[in-house]
Amino acid sequence: MNPIALIARKESGELLMSGRGLAWLLALSVIMSALSLLLVSNTELSLLDNAQVVYMVMGTVTALGALLAVVLGSDAVAGEQERGSLMPLLLAPVTPSQFVFGKMGGQVTGWVVMYLLSLPYVWAVGSSGQNLAQSVAYLALFGTPVVLGFGFLGIFLSARLRSVRAALLTSLIILMLLVSPLLLGPSLRQSVIGKVFDAVNPFSAAVNTFDSVVIDSQPLAMQGTRLAVTLVWLVLTAAFAIRSVRKMEI
Amino acid sequence: MKKTVISLLLGLSLLGLGNVWAADSVSISLTPDPTNPPSPQMGDWLKFHSVVGNPGAQAAHGVVAWISLVQVDPGHEQPVDLEDWSAHKAVTEAVLQPGQNVKVEWPIRLIQAGAYRVVISAVDRETGHVMTSPFVDFQVRRKPVVESGRILPVAFGIPALVLGVLAWRRYRGRAS
Repeated sequence: MNPIALIARKESGELLMSGRGLAWLLALSVIMSALSLLLVSNTELSLLDNAQVVYMVMGTVTALGALLAVVLGSDAVAGEQERGSLMPLLLAPVTPSQFVFGKMGGQVTGWVVMYLLSLPYVWAVGSSGQNLAQSVAYLALFGTPVVLGFGFLGIFLSARLRSVRAALLTSLIILMLLVSPLLLGPSLRQSVIGKVFDAVNPFSAAVNTFDSVVIDSQPLAMQGTRLAVTLVWLVLTAAFAIRSVRKMEI
Repeated sequence: MKKTVISLLLGLSLLGLGNVWAADSVSISLTPDPTNPPSPQMGDWLKFHSVVGNPGAQAAHGVVAWISLVQVDPGHEQPVDLEDWSAHKAVTEAVLQPGQNVKVEWPIRLIQAGAYRVVISAVDRETGHVMTSPFVDFQVRRKPVVESGRILPVAFGIPALVLGVLAWRRYRGRAS
């Protein structure tokens, strides 16, 4: 079997097949349920806010996906080392890129499950039906490169720092910084610094697209630059992750 | 002296009023579309029809007519920003010849519940004041935008489903 598929299968199995591993899925569903119940209790929402609610759910799902990715990525190398299983992996005939993509296999599985789990929530809150199909498509199109990029970032830091705690802490701080557009309103990002940050931040690119498509009903043709930002983010983080794994010393 | 001053002030004010009460160069009608829902709710579309005409003997130049919406709920009186309600907010006519009429359709999507008053206003280059149509009032019923009937089964069902899978795995693990 292909080494990538082998590692990916092991990673996915640990994430989904063990009872303990599934606890994250329960936590995710509880968070999404709590958010939905908070929204249903708000009777002052206007029709426009229905799209706003869908946008909020999409942003939250992407942020939770990124959180899952950095946790798994931070554990990818340093966790193996701390458990004493890194040496056999490095001695096996596996190239750095096969190792990284194999590890990413688990993250892809986690993200796919998370995405599928979020769909009922998106449907439930999008009662007006405004751009609901687009919400589902754009969450996959923009959420996937952003989330997987965070996974690569976690692997990069894990290989560089060789400590789960240090890699996790650093990844979470970077995650907090990049997801800040979800917490800050658009008006707070109108300064020059805010605009530059928005232009290069892959998470901003995703949430701004969600805003543009779901709330303002703008077409895909207007999202080209943002899509490019998320893809550049994905490619760069993947390259850094592979490079850092290649540089590891036994 | 007092009389002279009062007469002068009265004369000046009448001169001012003369400008305010100048004849309208444009007439505007406003009627709701007969197919509008009788009791509209949030999300519905309403259509209004206007005829912007020039009843005078001289041409009106640079005519601009626009739709305005005001919320008139007691305590919540405010003008409404039409950005999300309508993409068709104004029409312009370079010249409106005497006797010429322009029919305009104003579609609006009802975004928020409440009591509203819609009016069409117009100006032209010559007339020194805004000309308006009669008002049309309408009431928008609230529609729950986040439906509890959809959310509650999902909000309670999904965690219960995941919990069920977890319990089943645990049970199967113990059995084997």
